[in-house]
Amino acid sequence: MEPLYEYAWLIPVFPLLGAMLVGSGLISFNRATNALRQMNAVVIISFLGAAMSMSFALLWSQIHGHPVFLRTFEWASAGSFHLTMGYTIDHLTAMMLVVVTTVAFLVMVYTDGYMAHDPGYVRFYAYLSLFSASMLGLVISPNLVQVYIFWELVGMCSYLLVGFWYDRKAAANAAQKAFVTNRVGDFGLLLGILGLYWTTGSFDFQIIGDRLQELVSSGQISIVIASIFAILVFLGPAAKSAQFPLHVWLPDAMEGPTPISALIHAATMVAAGVFLIARMFPVFEGIPAVMNLIAWTGAFTAFLGASIAITQNDIKKGLAYSTISQLGYMVMAMGIGAYSAGLFHLMTHAYFKAMLFLGSGSVIHGMEDVVGHNPALAQDMRVMGGLRKFMPLTATSFLVGCLAISGIPPFAGFWSKDEILGKAFEANPALWILGWLTAGITAFYMFRMYFMTFEGPFRGNSTQAKAELLKAPALAFGPGAMDPRELEQGHDGHDSHDAHHGSESPHESPLTMTLPLLILAVPSVLIGLLGTPFHNYFEAFIYSPNETAAEALQAATEADLSEFWVMAGNSVGISLIGITLASLMYLRHKIDPAAIAAKIQPLYQLSLNKWYFDNIYDAVFVRGTRRIARQVLEVDYNVVDGAVNFTGFLAVITGEGLKYFENGRAQFYALIIFLAVLGFVIVAV
Amino acid sequence: MTFANFPWLTTVIFFPILASAAIPFIPDPSEKGRTVRWYALVIGLINFALIVTAFYTQYDFSSAELQLVESYDWIPQIGLKWSVAADGLSMPLILLTGFITTLATLAAWPITMKPRFFYFLLLAMYGGQIAVFAVQDMLVFFLVWELELIPVYLLLSIWGGYKRLYAATKFILYTAGSSLFILVAALAMAFYGGTITFDMHELGLKDYGQTFQLLVYGGLLISYAVKLPIIPLHTWLPDAHGEATAPVHMLLAGILLKMGGYALIRMNVEMLPAAHAFFAPALVVLGVVNIIYAALTSFAQRNLKRKIAYSSISHMGFVLIGIASYTDLGISGAVLQMVSHGLIGASLFFLVGATYDRTHTLILEEMGGVGQKMPKIFAMFTACSMASLALPGMSGFVAELMVFVGFFTSDAYSTTFRLIVVFLAAVGVILTPIYLLSMLREIFYGSENKELVSHEALIDAEPREVFIIACLLVPIIGIGLYPKALTQIYDAKTAALNLRIRAEVPSLNAAAKLTAPVVGMASVKAPLLD
Repeated sequence: MEPLYEYAWLIPVFPLLGAMLVGSGLISFNRATNALRQMNAVVIISFLGAAMSMSFALLWSQIHGHPVFLRTFEWASAGSFHLTMGYTIDHLTAMMLVVVTTVAFLVMVYTDGYMAHDPGYVRFYAYLSLFSASMLGLVISPNLVQVYIFWELVGMCSYLLVGFWYDRKAAANAAQKAFVTNRVGDFGLLLGILGLYWTTGSFDFQIIGDRLQELVSSGQISIVIASIFAILVFLGPAAKSAQFPLHVWLPDAMEGPTPISALIHAATMVAAGVFLIARMFPVFEGIPAVMNLIAWTGAFTAFLGASIAITQNDIKKGLAYSTISQLGYMVMAMGIGAYSAGLFHLMTHAYFKAMLFLGSGSVIHGMEDVVGHNPALAQDMRVMGGLRKFMPLTATSFLVGCLAISGIPPFAGFWSKDEILGKAFEANPALWILGWLTAGITAFYMFRMYFMTFEGPFRGNSTQAKAELLKAPALAFGPGAMDPRELEQGHDGHDSHDAHHGSESPHESPLTMTLPLLILAVPSVLIGLLGTPFHNYFEAFIYSPNETAAEALQAATEADLSEFWVMAGNSVGISLIGITLASLMYLRHKIDPAAIAAKIQPLYQLSLNKWYFDNIYDAVFVRGTRRIARQVLEVDYNVVDGAVNFTGFLAVITGEGLKYFENGRAQFYALIIFLAVLGFVIVAV
Repeated sequence: MTFANFPWLTTVIFFPILASAAIPFIPDPSEKGRTVRWYALVIGLINFALIVTAFYTQYDFSSAELQLVESYDWIPQIGLKWSVAADGLSMPLILLTGFITTLATLAAWPITMKPRFFYFLLLAMYGGQIAVFAVQDMLVFFLVWELELIPVYLLLSIWGGYKRLYAATKFILYTAGSSLFILVAALAMAFYGGTITFDMHELGLKDYGQTFQLLVYGGLLISYAVKLPIIPLHTWLPDAHGEATAPVHMLLAGILLKMGGYALIRMNVEMLPAAHAFFAPALVVLGVVNIIYAALTSFAQRNLKRKIAYSSISHMGFVLIGIASYTDLGISGAVLQMVSHGLIGASLFFLVGATYDRTHTLILEEMGGVGQKMPKIFAMFTACSMASLALPGMSGFVAELMVFVGFFTSDAYSTTFRLIVVFLAAVGVILTPIYLLSMLREIFYGSENKELVSHEALIDAEPREVFIIACLLVPIIGIGLYPKALTQIYDAKTAALNLRIRAEVPSLNAAAKLTAPVVGMASVKAPLLD
């Protein structure tokens, strides 16, 4: 097996090669490369396929007990400072590699259908491949600096992909918002890394954790300082995994094409935050205050995301808020020390959420035939309905995803979410209540989404409904991120591939799109069985760095089953209530949601306006920075440069004045010199 | 004459200057510079090849001493010598000069106004710039420093934008005025003590009095602060950069700014270490001010060239912090930042020029939505902006990271001071993408700009332009992926330099551990630390 590990660095290099090959083709022989179209996709998918096979082989070997593999080389040095880079393969890495490569592979296959008519088809593949390379580089990183490097690179890929349709103004804004918000988190992460290096002299996860413990317990470093550094590091994951208060970028990032919403903004990149918390577990674990902060941030975010998702009408935005909410669960799990439960949810969520997003993409693709390439219409659930008749495969897989995320046994989400809730109950019942409530809301909004999209009559041909949507911008999207008028504007540029628009009913997507959905449905149903409380294979494989394999195995097999039944009963119960409510409101129309909304108007508005975060941030940070910048520029012009110009002006004046003294008479000069000397003498005496 | 004692540096200085003298005799039937530009490019390439050969065959990475030394008596009566040499500080910058100036010649391809004179000045500058980095005699340094201003002045005032005369005059007054301090300092240092010498190495060995050092340091700091530039002596830069044409722009940002940083390290830090211990905290504070102040002004700036000009000022702040960090890593990072910004600044300014050639406006409000018509320029602009905002995998990130780590682990300052500085400098990490990405958004994103398209031909990048940016991106990414490739050139030098300046600060002599936070510079009264 050793050569496999020797060459494991090829896993991120394969997709990088693909991206470089196609990218340089695009730059140098643009027309020829674009003309080749699917050939590029084949190249890139094959490269990723190679990386995927290696990942599976590595996972297989890790399951069979291969020891941790580490390979480093010196990257930068100055005097006594040495910084190494390299790669490490352990259980966590092996699992992440498989998750990332499989989802990326399926998304790439799906992209062929979804982007078939887009002029940027080839460029999109190049970006996707570049992203896969960065993400794979991130998961094999052996130290914090390397994590930071790839962390930023996945952020850049996200920027490029969110702004992929760069003729849309909303996409441009969203891309920038995503990058800058993430930079705020990276600012914290960078400071945290620097602080931890300064205190412990290392960038290695385990060493930092151990030394920090030592220093704190021996009193060399106060616990407050250590906590501050740990919180700064946590800012990074908070931004990347869209945790409160840095969650605002993720819903806007849905401006990007749907395949990347599935890959980057649901399955892999946003989970990188949780992955980093797992890597930094040795550091966080020793500081209870920080662990509490992480847990509560996660729990609050879970609730926040779910509460906003209820009122979203844009199918992708609804899923985006659901992602925020689910990431909140994972972060909460990390915070309460449920290491393997959090990562288990990461894995199950990656599969079922990728499927849900791809499903929504399939829906949008179908809808575009009826309403045109206008995201304000094609993504709005109020003009959908009854799509199950037209797109049975998509509907089935979407239903599986809804059941999985709602935590209905035996679907994947049930096992992972239930494990988190069980651990939360042991840690703090308040956290459990929040998580449990969120589970109910989750079931409600997911089935609201399913019923609105796939059941009932099809509303896409009602010109009245469409006109209403386009007329009422505030209702369609809420204030903040998008102004539908901008969408209209951006829409102009896309007429070129509007050619096949105009059919009366949506159609099922091509095989390249439905096949990935069906394949993803398999893990969405089954993968949860790896982590049942009866025998938790997952927990025996992925355990926190301070546990030994034997301990983990013991914990994995000895579960308190009676407690499990109670917890599971509770969470399934509230999920069923949520589903029932959703079906009464949106399937049978027994309850009128509008009436309820009218009754709780303040709460409804709060949810609809996303708790006003965008408005507040816009007023305080965006406009605040602008104002300060303008003032500084004015100071620069008027004061600093003003002084310079004033000096110049003075020089001219004095020059003009002195002109009259320079009259060419030697006696006059002598007089001046004499006076000057006299003056010096007087001063000197 | 063998390969080893061939006068490499003198050759690479005078070859382009002498070659420029032949330009008037080159037949140019079209009078549009079609032959002259080829001539200049070939001379540039030959000279760059000579530099690389000298570097490859004669330069020893592991030595901190001066290498490729050549010394000839010039005016023996006053001890004036033509002596040139290169060490870890100058070698990377000489290589950079050769690289950027050659690319600038290629960037100047479309220039048709007075082409002979333009290429004459460009080649003259080529030699002058290398001389600044290579001469080891302080009086000669002053001379070449001044001489190199003249081509820049002419290049600005003849080929610049609408306000070119104002900008050129401001530039020449600022730099020439401030460089008087170099002359005064050179004379004062030369005549200090018993022996009279202008040799930098010997000047560095003299034992100056404390007050004398502080005065000379202050004087030199003013002249180099103008060049680097350090706020508040920066206001010539937005004007000069705002009016310069693209190739001149590349030289201004790519090389001329580095002269300030180079001279600051070479003279202030190396020759006057005791005064440096006094001034270092002030440099750090100025560096932080540079980073934040210039980033904010850049954000508010609506003129594209001035925006990038301010971003240059912002990036130079890291050089200051690195120089004053008293760590190997920090100083190394400062040198790396100079080289890295030389490459990134040149690429951005070139792209601004390329964009201007097409849109004929620099005001952001009048642009927007040009991405569809010029996807290649869009892609290259994005890549170079990413480099400028210190994206990992590119050189700017490594430089900033080294400065950050170096300064944060420095034992020369109190913990509080370091925390505040690093925190504020890291604010720049947030501000930089804000202004750069806003800029990209305003130029390229959005629906097609109907007004601009109607009266400007927005053709995409031609192969020459792609080639120039590719040439710049290769070292940017190369250094970003494997920084040791560059840092090993000067590591020995910066380590020796750090050893020397640390020896002047008594509190740093005691071996201090990394893990234990150390108190501030007790023996040196640093006014800004309290």
